[in-house]
Amino acid sequence: MSTLKVNTILSETPTVNITDGLNVTGVSTVATLNTTNIVNSTQLSNRNLIINGAMQVAQRGTSSTSTGYNSVDRFATSISGTDETPTQAQADVASGTTPYTLGFRKSFKITNGNQTGGAGTSDRVGIEYKIEAQDMANCGWNYLFSSSYITFSYWVKSSVAQNFYVRFKSSDSPSQAYAIETGSLSADTWTKITKTIPGNSNIVFNNDNGEGLSITWEIFRGTSQTGTRPLNAWAASDNATRTPNQTSTWYTTNDATFEITGVQLEVGSVATPFEHRSYADELKRCSRYYQKIAEGNQKAVAFAFNYNTQYGDWVLQYPMGPMRTSPSIDMVQGSDYYHYHGGSQTCNLDGAFIIEQQQNTQANIYFDPDASLTAGGTGYIKTHNASAYFAISAEL
Amino acid sequence: MAWSQTKTYKLCNSISTGELCSVMKDNGNGRFLSIPLDEENTDYQEYLAWVAEGNTAEAAD
Repeated sequence: MSTLKVNTILSETPTVNITDGLNVTGVSTVATLNTTNIVNSTQLSNRNLIINGAMQVAQRGTSSTSTGYNSVDRFATSISGTDETPTQAQADVASGTTPYTLGFRKSFKITNGNQTGGAGTSDRVGIEYKIEAQDMANCGWNYLFSSSYITFSYWVKSSVAQNFYVRFKSSDSPSQAYAIETGSLSADTWTKITKTIPGNSNIVFNNDNGEGLSITWEIFRGTSQTGTRPLNAWAASDNATRTPNQTSTWYTTNDATFEITGVQLEVGSVATPFEHRSYADELKRCSRYYQKIAEGNQKAVAFAFNYNTQYGDWVLQYPMGPMRTSPSIDMVQGSDYYHYHGGSQTCNLDGAFIIEQQQNTQANIYFDPDASLTAGGTGYIKTHNASAYFAISAEL
Repeated sequence: MAWSQTKTYKLCNSISTGELCSVMKDNGNGRFLSIPLDEENTDYQEYLAWVAEGNTAEAAD
C-alpha cells in the first residue's frame, strides 16, 4: 500500500468514482452530499435531548418574578439572596439576528433586578434544565467511556460583556459535575456556544424517572458556592465549588439581561444543526411534566358528582396523557374563583381542589363548595374569575 | 366551605378513607399546590425536606 498526498483532486467528468470504499478520518466538508445510505454515530432524528430548546412553549405564562418553573416550559430559574427579584420571560428573538435567520423566534430571558446590596456570598441567579435519568441512560451515549461524547450547543446573548459558566451535574450517586465557560461574550450580541463533553467512568444514570442530568447556566453565584473547580473535566460534585469564582458584573448591573435559545444536547462529538420541532411536538413532550387545564374566567374545568352532601369529586384523566409521576395540582385560589353548576343549584368554590388516589395517568380530585349538595347529584365546574388557574405539574 | 390555611403546608385527608391523602402548599401569592404523597413527586420531596428541618404542617380539618 502506498500513500498519496495531494491538495486537490479534479475530475474531467462531473464525478470521481470510487468503487471499493473510502475511509476519511477527521471532519470533512462536503458542499452537497448525495447518498443512498448514511451510517453515523449521530442519529438523524430525535437527536436533541432537550425539550423545548427553542423556547416555543410557555404554558404558565410569558413573564414572572417568581423563581422556579414559571414561564418557558422545562426551563426554571434558581434565584436566592437578591434584593430585587429578577424577571424570567419568554422573549422574542429580533428579526435580522442570526438566530432569527436560523428559525428561532423565542428565547428564555432573565432581566436582573436592582441588587442594591451588591454581590452576597450566597446570592445566585441561574437557569436550570433537568433531564430524566432514564433518558440519559437510554440516549445512546456510552457515558462510562471517555472516548464517547455528547455535544452541547446553544445561542446566548448578554447585555453585559463577560464570561459565564455552565454546570452539568449527574444526579445519581456518586454525583459528578462538569463545568464549562462561554468565554468573554460581547455585549448584546448573539453568540453560539458549542462544547463537546466526554464520558467518565464515575457517572451513574439510573434507568428511572428521577433526575439524571441537570444543566445550570450560572449567571451569578456567590463565593460560598464557588472556588477551585476544574473546567472541561468531570469531578465529584460539590455544592461549595460549583464553578470557579465568578465575576459579579452582570449581577450588580440593574436590569442586565441574559438570553438563551436553540439549546441542544446530542450524542456524538459534533454539533449538528438545531433539530427544529413543531409547536405541537414540543407541547406534547412538555406535557409529561406540566399540563395546563384552565386559565381565566368562564373556562370549563371538570364534570363532577356529589360524593355526599359536603364534597364534590371527579376523576381527572390527564388530558395530554401520562405524566412523569403523580402530579401536583397547581391552582390559584380566591373567594368564589370557581362555580359548581348542578341542576338548579350553583355553588361558589374558592378553588381548594385536593388530590387523592393518584397515579401517573389519573387521580381523584375533591372539593368542598360553599353550599350543601344533594348526594349523588352531578354538575360541572367552571372558572369564575380572570385570575382562576388550574394545572397539573410533575416537573423534575 | 372557604379554604383556611395558616401554615405553608396543611395536611388533607381522603373523603373516602379519612386517612391522610395529600398536602396543600400555600405559595403565599394566591397560588396553591395540592401535593400527592408520592416520593417521586418533587413537590412532595420538598415537603419532606421541610419536615426534616423540624417544621410541622397544619393538621387536617
